[in-house]
Amino acid sequence: MDHTLKSVDTGLGALSHSVAAMGDLAVAQVRAAIDVFVRHDLADAAKVVRADDALDLQDAEIEKNAIRFIALHQPMADDLRRPIAAMKIAMQLERCGDLAKNIGKRVGRLGAAAPEDKAALIAELGHLAAERLAAVVNAYRAEDAQGAYNVWLKDTEIDERHDGVLREIVAGMVADPAAVEDSTHLLFIAKNLERIGDHATNVAELVYYQITGSDLTERPKL
Amino acid sequence: MNVQVETPQETAVLELPPETVKLQIKDLNFFYSGKQALFDVSVSFAANAVTALIGPSGCGKSTLLRTLNRMYSLYPGQKATGQVLLDGVDVLGPRVDVAALRARIGMVFQKPTPFPMSIFDNVAYGVRLYEPMSKPDLAIRVEESLRRAALWEEVKDKLKESGLSLSGGQQQRLCVARGIAVRPEILLLDEPASALDPISTARLEETIAELKRDYTIVIVTHNMGQAARLSDHTGFMYLGKLVEFGETEQLFTSPVTTRARDYITGRFG
Repeated sequence: MDHTLKSVDTGLGALSHSVAAMGDLAVAQVRAAIDVFVRHDLADAAKVVRADDALDLQDAEIEKNAIRFIALHQPMADDLRRPIAAMKIAMQLERCGDLAKNIGKRVGRLGAAAPEDKAALIAELGHLAAERLAAVVNAYRAEDAQGAYNVWLKDTEIDERHDGVLREIVAGMVADPAAVEDSTHLLFIAKNLERIGDHATNVAELVYYQITGSDLTERPKL
Repeated sequence: MNVQVETPQETAVLELPPETVKLQIKDLNFFYSGKQALFDVSVSFAANAVTALIGPSGCGKSTLLRTLNRMYSLYPGQKATGQVLLDGVDVLGPRVDVAALRARIGMVFQKPTPFPMSIFDNVAYGVRLYEPMSKPDLAIRVEESLRRAALWEEVKDKLKESGLSLSGGQQQRLCVARGIAVRPEILLLDEPASALDPISTARLEETIAELKRDYTIVIVTHNMGQAARLSDHTGFMYLGKLVEFGETEQLFTSPVTTRARDYITGRFG
């Protein structure tokens, strides 16, 4: 049912729209970061770094609009959860943007393209994290609690894969001390991707909270 | 694995632990000259707690309040069936002394209703009726009541002035002072802040929050924020029925019924 006061629907609709749009942009940034890493494209890496400003602006805008909505309408129940979730999700997406930006910077500092086997492993980890983030942005847009829950359940997959990548990189460092500097950047790039996965999980919790009003706390034993 | 998204319920009424209950309403039906205004209302109000009743105009919340101290029996043609148990005794029963009942259950109305007499006498009036006491004791009781109603500081130097000389917000707190002067057990408030400015409203709310320690308070309000801030339990009524009753925090954050959710979020009513 629509709200009696039309501006409530308009305000909530605009907030949701801007969060979903910011989500799309964050996913695109993460994918672009993985892409410049794989291609070792320094020019495009610099573009990824610069493009992060847009996410920062959107985060600030969403926060401003959510606060304005709460102040003007003093919403209750799901109407209150929505602007709160919007603000918190925007913050998570902004962090994803920062991590993608950091990957862009590190690509610029790598002495050479990463060894193919390690690049492939990191790219795989990255694709998984990006896919997770995209899925949860879709769940947000569709107001799909089940979709959010599914993303949340699979959080450990990224962690496990990240551990595997770390072992490979460290083994590479041991075998070839000359590669330590580049490998350190690789470690951070992998860590950043793992953190993006964590943020996707956080967004999943917020989407679930917004829709159902309850928290996702402990993962059920499957 | 599938997510458990709870399906909305038609009605949901929380049952309170019996030892916390001050006033228990059972199968209450109410009629205005044959027209039914309350339908099978069953709910309990906890002692030393604030219960808020919300719902659109005409939903029966004021009627419910007026039933609790038999205010309705002042009007011919009005009839209640069912039970209202105050500490286990049915106040709707024939042998109840209505005047004594109203001393136990005080009421404050939407519009301030000071008596056309001095501020002091407004508060002392009911006490003189029910509890003969010495002048010094009465003065103490009046001061104590005015202090508890958060009005003392504003009127202590003009107790002999007319109650009608006060501002609307002060008059309302005077009515609260008058209501609590006879030391009732229950205080019924029917939209007590609807005619007050924000500062007076805040003072009255602070008073209610203070009074909760000693009284069982039931408040009817159209102000959602006020219900949310003040009360421990909230009941949502619609078309003479109690649709949802539960912990205030739960009702305002995650209502169980679609009707309550639509009402508190401004989708109808």
